[in-house]
Order: sequence, then structure tokens, then C-alpha cells
Amino acid sequence: MFENAYRQRLDTDLARWQADGVIAPSVGDAIRAALPPAPKSINIPTVIGILGGLLIAAAFLAFVAANWTEIARPARFAILLVGIAGAYSLGAWFDRSQRPYLADISATVGCIVFGASIALVGQMYHLAEDFAAGMMLWSAGSLIAALLTGSRGALAVALAAGCIWSGMRISEMSGTPHLPFVAFWLVAAWLAVLWNSAVARHLVGVAALGWIATVFFGYVDRTSLNPLLPVTACSTLLLGAGLMLAHLASGALRALGLTLSTYASFALALMLSPVGIHEFLSLKLVAPNWALLCGLLGTGLAFATAAIVRRGGPAFAGLALTCALIVASGWAGALALPQPWTIYVFALASMLCLVISGMLDEVRPRLVAGWLGLGLMIAGITWSVRGSLLRRAAFLAVSGIAAVVIATVLGRLLPSKEAAR
Amino acid sequence: MTSLASLYARLPRVVLFAVAGFIQLALIAAMVIDRAGVLRDGKEITLQTRPVDPRDFLRGDYVILSYDISQIPADKLEKQGAQGTDGTKDRDPVVFVKLAPQPDGFHKPVSAHFEPVPVSGNDVLIRGRITNLRYCTNCPTYFVKYGLEKFFVPEGEGRELENARNQNKVTVVAAVTSSGRAAIKRLLLDGKPVYDEPLF
Repeated sequence: MFENAYRQRLDTDLARWQADGVIAPSVGDAIRAALPPAPKSINIPTVIGILGGLLIAAAFLAFVAANWTEIARPARFAILLVGIAGAYSLGAWFDRSQRPYLADISATVGCIVFGASIALVGQMYHLAEDFAAGMMLWSAGSLIAALLTGSRGALAVALAAGCIWSGMRISEMSGTPHLPFVAFWLVAAWLAVLWNSAVARHLVGVAALGWIATVFFGYVDRTSLNPLLPVTACSTLLLGAGLMLAHLASGALRALGLTLSTYASFALALMLSPVGIHEFLSLKLVAPNWALLCGLLGTGLAFATAAIVRRGGPAFAGLALTCALIVASGWAGALALPQPWTIYVFALASMLCLVISGMLDEVRPRLVAGWLGLGLMIAGITWSVRGSLLRRAAFLAVSGIAAVVIATVLGRLLPSKEAAR
Repeated sequence: MTSLASLYARLPRVVLFAVAGFIQLALIAAMVIDRAGVLRDGKEITLQTRPVDPRDFLRGDYVILSYDISQIPADKLEKQGAQGTDGTKDRDPVVFVKLAPQPDGFHKPVSAHFEPVPVSGNDVLIRGRITNLRYCTNCPTYFVKYGLEKFFVPEGEGRELENARNQNKVTVVAAVTSSGRAAIKRLLLDGKPVYDEPLF
């Protein structure tokens, strides 16, 4: 999709440059010829075929809800097995006839039928009510299918089921993160690298955010603890590791690092943004050692990357992570104060550093994440109903003036782009 | 690793699809075989059901079952072991309840533990999860689920069974393995079997 948009824009630019005399017609033709063949896009019959596959899968799920006791139990069991076998047979046939999208959707349908079968077998055989174990089985089976067939849809099913499994286990546990999911996620990340697939990379990134969300809700729901440090630490580690891969690795590993660092940036911005909300901050801050270690490791990775590649982007990301850790760990003072000015300063500084990091690395999503965090924080601080509104106004004014002064000084110190030319 | 990757690359795609489907079929079959193993090898216990709040009666096509052993008095629960690794307690901790047969033929709880304990004679150790420890640290009674609380029935038969259950006429025979896992084996109405679970 993005490849086609790029080609269209390039073609328009080349035509304009040729017409303006910027480049010779032969140069334009040479550039066009140098492009690799356009990737095969999904055609209309394929889209309709995918829709058909999804409808069949939905029909099978509806079958779960229906009462089908008229059929003998062994026959019901056989229907389930035939459903799975049929989906994979169809997938193999599509794959053989060079229709990869339909093969992918068949494997996905096979995984969905597999999940429905787990539920139905549980119903038929009165199996114990361990819903999380069922989700784990579903995710493991789907991950194996993704590994063997190369199906992105199967990977999506595996990660979605895995996130639900992890969330349910966390709700039963004693506030510790659900580590088995991390091993499961690493396998999925390895697949994303192996396939060098953008879809798989984004699925892995979304799953990481899903897992961080389960850590968040696990603490809040469990004992009304403030989980700012655990979730910030997870985001920090993901961002630090992502930056290291993005700057030091190449090819598929680099692309994965870039994607993960983008998702981690958004996670960091969203997790830190409620610092202005008193009701959230008044919860008791939880600071487990594992979280502190993860946070320090992530920050260390960012600074190590900056030192190795000698670039400002990872260094500013490291500063952003340091400020975020100072806020989340409570080192900047108690979060529950009516007006925790130092907390606000470090949180805003964290997001500002993230924006600068995105600018220096020319990674627009990181820049957007930083701006999003800044916007949400300023909104939270402005509309917070606790404490003196006058002092709040003074804080915002002083912060604004400080930012303008820094901008002016930097503007004079740093050479402008025009001067550099 | 390289040889594994090269083997993966050499295998025909049809074989890979077949293996993926076969593994999922095997996992489904394993669920059924595992449950059949509990029924075949488990020690039989007889449990008295008890009435359930009528507003929470029939959901879909299963009957909610509650047992006398579903409620464990606090004095029967060993207090140590409910703490999590970070010093906080588990939300729904696993518990092992020691059951002993009574003169009336039903099994009743003798004690409950957070770790498996040895049992002798006709006593049985059944594994469950406490569901109300998250709400109170010193509950007078602990509610335990054993995975025996749902019984799926053909459409229309649930109401009759629930009415009988609320009159204490329903009895369940369950099979319990040495590790404490349990499965419903038989459902009796007024002492007569109405549902007998086949192995497969």
C-alpha cells in the first residue's frame, strides 16, 4: 500500500523535474528502471475471498453458542477435527496454486476454528473452568501454525489469544508480571525478523503494548496500587532495546527495532500523561525491584547506543527515559502532593526530550508520541481540580518562559540550516 | 540452527500446512484424552450439591453446581502459603482440600492447604482455587472452585435438574486423580444415575 503511494509520488516528481529541465529525460527513465518490480497487491476477488473466509470463521464461532446436542458427541468431535483439517487442506491448496493471501486466510480460519474447538470440547466434556489455560492452548497452537505456514493472520490470532491469556493470569497472580508471555512474545518477534514482514512487526509491537496494559490493569485492579513504575519500566526497556536494534542492527532486525521503539514511545507518552490527574496519583506507588532494574537497563541501552553511534537521537531518548524513571520511581518527590511541581517538570522534560530525539533521528512517530504526551500532560495539569489554580497558572507561565528562553539561546548557539549551506 | 532453517526451507509447503493442522488436532485430542485419563484412573468421590441463588440459574445450556465442599470454614484452612513472591497475597490461590468419606456416603472437607499434603486410606486430596481471598483476609468461610461447577445438559433439561438441585436431590460422583485434578463422572437424581459420562 505504502510502496504504491511512494511510486506514484516519485513518478509525479520525476515527470515535473523532467518538464522543468532539472533532470534529463534519460535520467528519469534510468531512475524508473532502477526500481524493483512492484509488489503484488491484493485484488478484488482476493478481498472478497478474505471476507468469505472471515464469515465462515464467524459462522463457526456462532456454532459455539448454538445448542447442537442433537448430534452425538463423537460426531460433534469429528466435525471439529474436520473443520481444522479442512481449513489447512484448503490453505495448502491455495498455497500450491500461488495464492498466498488466500492460503494465509485459510490458516487464520484454521486457527479460529481451533480456538472454537477448544471451547466446544470444554463444553462437551465438562472440562474445568480454566479459561486462561484454554487461551494459552489456543495461542500456542496458533503460534505453531504461524511458524509452519508463515501466516500473518495466524500470528495475529496467536498474539491476541496470548494477550488475553497473560491478562487473565496476571489477574490471578500476586502483582508480578506474567513472564511466560515474554518468552512467547520473543518467538513472535523472531518470526517477524525471519519473515521481514511489516505486518508481523506491527503485530508484535501491538502485542507488547497489550502486555504492558495487562501489567497496568493487573496492579490497579488488584490492590489499587499505582503501577506507574512497572509500566514505565516495561516501556523503557522496549524503547532502549528498540533503539539499540534500530541503530546497530541492519535489515529486518533494524526494522523491528524501529517499529518497537515507536510503539514504546507511544506507551511511554500514554503512561506518563496522567501525572496531572490527582485521583490516579493518590494511589500508593508500587516500586518492585524488577521494574527498577528493567528501567535502568532500558535507559542504559539508550545511552550505550548513543555512545556507540555518536548520535544525539538515542542520547535524548536516554534523557527522556531517565526523566520518566525519576517520575515513576517517586525520586522526584511524592506523587500525591496537591501540586507536585518537580514531578510536572520531569514529566514535561521527558516528553520534550522524546520530541527532540524523534527530530534528531528523523523518526516522525516518536516525535508525534512526544507531542501527544506533552499535550496530554499540559491538559491534565491545566484542568486538575486539586491545589491552587493561581499557582498552577504561575507554574505553567514560568515553564513556558523557561522554554522560550532555552529556545532563544539554542537558536543563537546552533547554526541555522541556511548558514550551514 | 542453520540446519533447522535449511530443513524448514527444504520441506514442501503442503507438508508444513499438514503439520500445522495435525498439531492443532493433536492438541484438541490431548484435551479429551487427558480428561478420559482423569475419569479412568481417578478415585471416586461422592458430593452433595447445594442450592444456588435462583437469579443465577441457567445460563445457556449448563447447570451451575455448588457443593458442600465449595465452602471451607476458615478454621480448616492452613494460613501459611497464601503470600505471593513480592509479599502480597495471590488473588485466587490454589488450595488442596483433604476430603474424607462420611457415614452418609458423601465426602466432606477435613482440612485445606496451600501445598499438597499426604493422604491415607479413603481420604482424597482435591485441587481447587479460593475465589474470595481477594476480598477479605480473615473471611469466616472460603469459597473454593474445583472445576466441577458447570455441567452442560441438552436444551430444556437444565431447569428440571436445577429444581432438583435446589431440593438437595442432586448428587455428583467425581473422579479425582492423585494430583488433585477432578472431573464429573456421574450425576445422580434421588440416588439414581441420570447422566453417566463416557470416556470419549
